[in-house]
Amino acid sequence: MSKNNKISLPEAEIIKAIRNRERIGAEALYDMYSSSLYGIIYRIIQDEESGQDLLQETFVKIWNSIDSYDETKGRLFTWMVNIARNLSIDKLRSKDFRNSSKNRDIENSVNLIDDQRNTSLNTETLGVKEMVDNLKPDAKAVLDLVYFKGYTHAEASEELGIPLGTVKTRIRIAIQSLRKLFN
Amino acid sequence: MEDLKAYIESGVLELYVLGDLSSDERHEVELMVGKHPELQHELLVIEKSMQRYAENYAVEPKADLRNKVLDALDYRDEVPVKSLHADNESVGSGNFYKYAFAASIALLMVSVAALISLNNQLKESHQRIASLENSNQKFSNRVNYINKQLSNTQQTLEVYKNSKDYQLVELVGLPKAPEAKMVVAFNAAKEEVMIDLASLEMPQNDDQHQYQLWALVDGKPVDLGVFDKKADSTGMIKMKPIKNAQAFAVTLEPKGGSASPTLNQMMVMGNI
Repeated sequence: MSKNNKISLPEAEIIKAIRNRERIGAEALYDMYSSSLYGIIYRIIQDEESGQDLLQETFVKIWNSIDSYDETKGRLFTWMVNIARNLSIDKLRSKDFRNSSKNRDIENSVNLIDDQRNTSLNTETLGVKEMVDNLKPDAKAVLDLVYFKGYTHAEASEELGIPLGTVKTRIRIAIQSLRKLFN
Repeated sequence: MEDLKAYIESGVLELYVLGDLSSDERHEVELMVGKHPELQHELLVIEKSMQRYAENYAVEPKADLRNKVLDALDYRDEVPVKSLHADNESVGSGNFYKYAFAASIALLMVSVAALISLNNQLKESHQRIASLENSNQKFSNRVNYINKQLSNTQQTLEVYKNSKDYQLVELVGLPKAPEAKMVVAFNAAKEEVMIDLASLEMPQNDDQHQYQLWALVDGKPVDLGVFDKKADSTGMIKMKPIKNAQAFAVTLEPKGGSASPTLNQMMVMGNI
């Protein structure tokens, strides 16, 4: 399916359609967000089969718990990312997954995915991607650990051996840079 | 203001967006954001930035996952069920329409053929009716003609059969037409005057003129009507009735006859 055939709706309409359990809402939801959510899920789980299962689980959960989403408390995408991330982390930490999956080096695998998946990247954002890659590495590393690896800031602090306050500061610096980049 | 600035700079909003807060902390952020539009704006910008960041690292899942995911969801509008049925129906109805179309074409062709055949038959019938009407007319004409001839013959026969009732008056040619002659049958009792056209030996009159029969009653001419001499004139014709007459005469008059005879055009005359 080409990108041109994908369904796109304004956020408010998608939410309405999902609440009404309309198929158009599900299609728009998938077409608009599946790749972004899958990017996050894949980076956490590092496994294509499990990743696709998780993406499906994520959409089912989004679909079934839309009533617990409150648009006054944040954007739909933020809410969906948290669902995707939580499901992925739960899976990653589950016993059977740890037994079956190969132990991969976290840092390398993130780069590996990006190298492998470059072709699937949206060409409009390719220039931005390079700029994103050139963000302050220290700050980006912390942000990626939390956003793409599902670490809590406490875990990141432990992993990177830096104080909790520094983790928070670096996350904020990274996001500030992103804000400048995207605005 | 200072408090809000410090709040923003604490990075708690970022952690909120990253889902990295306890439920208590989350609740507190939501309260603060609800109270302060500035925080709401700040939160929105962070959220959008993170969404862009995620889009930047988007990975396209396998294409076949889309239907799998969509099939795993339940819909209130039941579109998938409907569309499934619709698909089946459209396959079936596609065939149905195909057959219906073929059947329609076949029916149309048969109908056209039948129509052409019927039209031809109708034309033929019309022709036969016209020809029958034509021959009927001919027969009818012939019957009329024969009837007329028969009645003429009967009248003639009547006159000659009852010769004692009819006085046959022979009119002979005058200087104007010396060869002319004719016979007038006169029945005084029935006041009948008849001319036997078969025995009429007169020159043929033209279209502008007609012969006029006169009766001489006490020396005065009385009009008995006009007649024509044509090549095919046959039978008896009845003229106007008259009771008494001493003589009959015929003059050639303008068509339709005259009020009084043109004496120099007197053709024949005969005394009773």
